[in-house]
Amino acid sequence: MRYEIFALIAVVGAFVWAFRALPMRLDMAKMPEKGALARFFAATGVAAIATLFAASMLPEFASGRALPALLGSAAVLAVYLPSRSVVLATLAGAAAYGAGFAFLA
Amino acid sequence: MAQDFRRGAVVGAPIVLGYFPIAFSFGVAATKAGLSSTEAVVMSLLMYSGAAQFMAIALIAAGAGFWISVATLVGMSLRHVLYGPSLLRAGGQSVPPKGALAWGFGLTDEVFGAGLGAFARGQAFTGGFIWGLALVSYAAWVGGTAVGALAGAGALAAWPSVDAGLSFMLTALFLALLLSIMQRAELPVIGAALVGTVGLSFAVSPTAGIMGGMILGALVGTVLGRRDAV
Repeated sequence: MRYEIFALIAVVGAFVWAFRALPMRLDMAKMPEKGALARFFAATGVAAIATLFAASMLPEFASGRALPALLGSAAVLAVYLPSRSVVLATLAGAAAYGAGFAFLA
Repeated sequence: MAQDFRRGAVVGAPIVLGYFPIAFSFGVAATKAGLSSTEAVVMSLLMYSGAAQFMAIALIAAGAGFWISVATLVGMSLRHVLYGPSLLRAGGQSVPPKGALAWGFGLTDEVFGAGLGAFARGQAFTGGFIWGLALVSYAAWVGGTAVGALAGAGALAAWPSVDAGLSFMLTALFLALLLSIMQRAELPVIGAALVGTVGLSFAVSPTAGIMGGMILGALVGTVLGRRDAV
């Protein structure tokens, strides 16, 4: 294993660990239930997932794969709404994307 | 404890289904970019951050400088700062279950989203649960990388549609997780996050789009929450 590769992995990995694990050492008990920071953290969850979905979709449009991406997203909705299953919806989305890609090709 | 661990592992099942093929793709891409299979697996073991890892192999392949690469990859990971406190809030805890310095490393985007969904459905935030959820996800990521790296650079060349479908797995998972946790009252938060992400991604950079979209959405939720509380 090359030294410079390991050094890069180790330094970035240390930051990733710090970003994920250390903020939980904030004393949440002192945070007012209806305070601004509490409301901010409560809203972060749904905002984060919406952001990650949008950020994942943008490259699809930029690289000419909008149709498979829209088909995949439609399949997630079509399967999730009746089944309420994250697993089935995810698999259906990937399968529909692959089918759309094959159709375009 | 064992029962909670099993519950966490079950909640992590969709993540395993998403992570293994994506990590497989990462292992293939890493060897294609000139990394050894050991380097690819060590990166998944110690960095455990999908987007940053794909970016890392692009930076390594392009010969980018060490500190430029560190700054880019650290910037991409900054969003994780918000996850731990937000998850504690959602799970009704003021302090995390024991071992947070260890399982906290496993708080990826998907583990965070799956945890939020489980807590919204009434799951208690216990040590067993979060260890089960985090460990199966981590094992799938590292295992998928190892299989992909050992399969080598040309592993998916003969099946482009399968390769494409696998590449969409995480996007599909994000949408399914979003559907599982969202409530009607949170639509303005989601709208603000989407607009912020798209706007900043085009105006500044994709990394700024992720961080900015997340913060904008959370700020809208903060303001709406105050209005509801009055």
